Amino acid sequence: MASEVQRLERLAERLRAVDPVAPSPGAKIRGWNLVLAAVEQSATVRSHGHPIRRLLVAAATVTILLVAGALAASADSLPDSTLYPLKGVLENVRGALTFSQSDRLVQHLDLAKTRLTEAEAMLARHRVDLAGRALNALNDQLNVAAELVQNAKQSDPAIGAAMQNRLSQAIATDDKQLVVLQGQAANPTAASALAQARDRAAEALKVAQAPASPNSQSSPSASPSGTAQGQGATSSPQPTTTP
Amino acid sequence: MRALGRPAGDDDRPLIERVRNGDQDAARTLFERYFDRIYNYVYARLGRAEDAEDLAIDTMTRSLTRLDLFHDQGVAFSSWVYRIAHNATIDHYRRHGKVTIVSLEHAPPSESADPSELAVEQLSNDDLRAALRDLTDEQQQVLILRFFQDLTAAQVAVILGKSVGAVQALQHRALGSLERVLQGRPVDGV
Repeated sequence: MASEVQRLERLAERLRAVDPVAPSPGAKIRGWNLVLAAVEQSATVRSHGHPIRRLLVAAATVTILLVAGALAASADSLPDSTLYPLKGVLENVRGALTFSQSDRLVQHLDLAKTRLTEAEAMLARHRVDLAGRALNALNDQLNVAAELVQNAKQSDPAIGAAMQNRLSQAIATDDKQLVVLQGQAANPTAASALAQARDRAAEALKVAQAPASPNSQSSPSASPSGTAQGQGATSSPQPTTTP
Repeated sequence: MRALGRPAGDDDRPLIERVRNGDQDAARTLFERYFDRIYNYVYARLGRAEDAEDLAIDTMTRSLTRLDLFHDQGVAFSSWVYRIAHNATIDHYRRHGKVTIVSLEHAPPSESADPSELAVEQLSNDDLRAALRDLTDEQQQVLILRFFQDLTAAQVAVILGKSVGAVQALQHRALGSLERVLQGRPVDGV
């Protein structure tokens, strides 16, 4: 009779002799295809998924979204808003990307209209100081527009005439709004600022309407920037002529 | 005839690094090295070719795509792969229930048979595999890894998270239980 140890050793030997069961070739091919697909997908995820890289991408995205959001929000901001300086930056960028004289005229007239709207809003909020700055900026835009018209008349009379006509219409429209505001203004300082703005707009129109001189260019005085950013600049009430 | 290929060794490390860097050839080499072994291991546990195929593929997929979780700190890659296969098997049991397939054609002898007269040489491979599946989970593991997979007691100890002495004791008890199953006698712990 075999001892227990001997019996178990024989059993162990028999187990060692059991043939392994091999997978079918088809199973192996299917298995490799599935594993390969998973490995490729995993490699793709890893290449996009390094923790530091993900952190940087997330930080950059958040920064871009914040800046874009602030810029978008600043587009409609008013002079008493903290985002208002950004509005000037945007306007300057837009101006730098405008090249033809006609387009630049349109842009300055649009900005003049914007300043007038801001002035109206500030008057409604009894911020006469800010309303005065907006009106100065309005006149700055109209002066630059008048200068553009003069230059255009010298280079191309036909285009210059069309631009002058456009400027005249814009100033007429602005003046109507200024008259309304003047009638509503209870504050003497505000009323005075509005009256001054009307006078300066009329002077800008005169500059634009002056006959073109081949030897000289009419150049109304304007602050370095009539944009929202340059709202604090003090503009000269009298246009000047530079050689 | 045994044709499971070379035992798992330490030369997996360079291949693992290459797979981590996206080298598909290295992944293919590791797949070829382990797929048959894992298939055989799972088949011995479950007894169904279809399930063994699915679980072997699942094990290799997990092994080669989650190498970021494998840290070569005293544990061989082969041990890690077997652990994954073991966990996949346990998950399979949980989902489908543990089903023991015993071939009626190779029914065990009656309880009255003399243990010393068990003719192990006459037992078919299917008899042995079916009888193995009647053992406890740990007993199955130790016998399959030691005798079907040709692993050393030390390698099995790493896979099971036990000492070598504990594995040897477990192996002894498992062989005893297997003998009793083959003789049709009650088995402890099942």
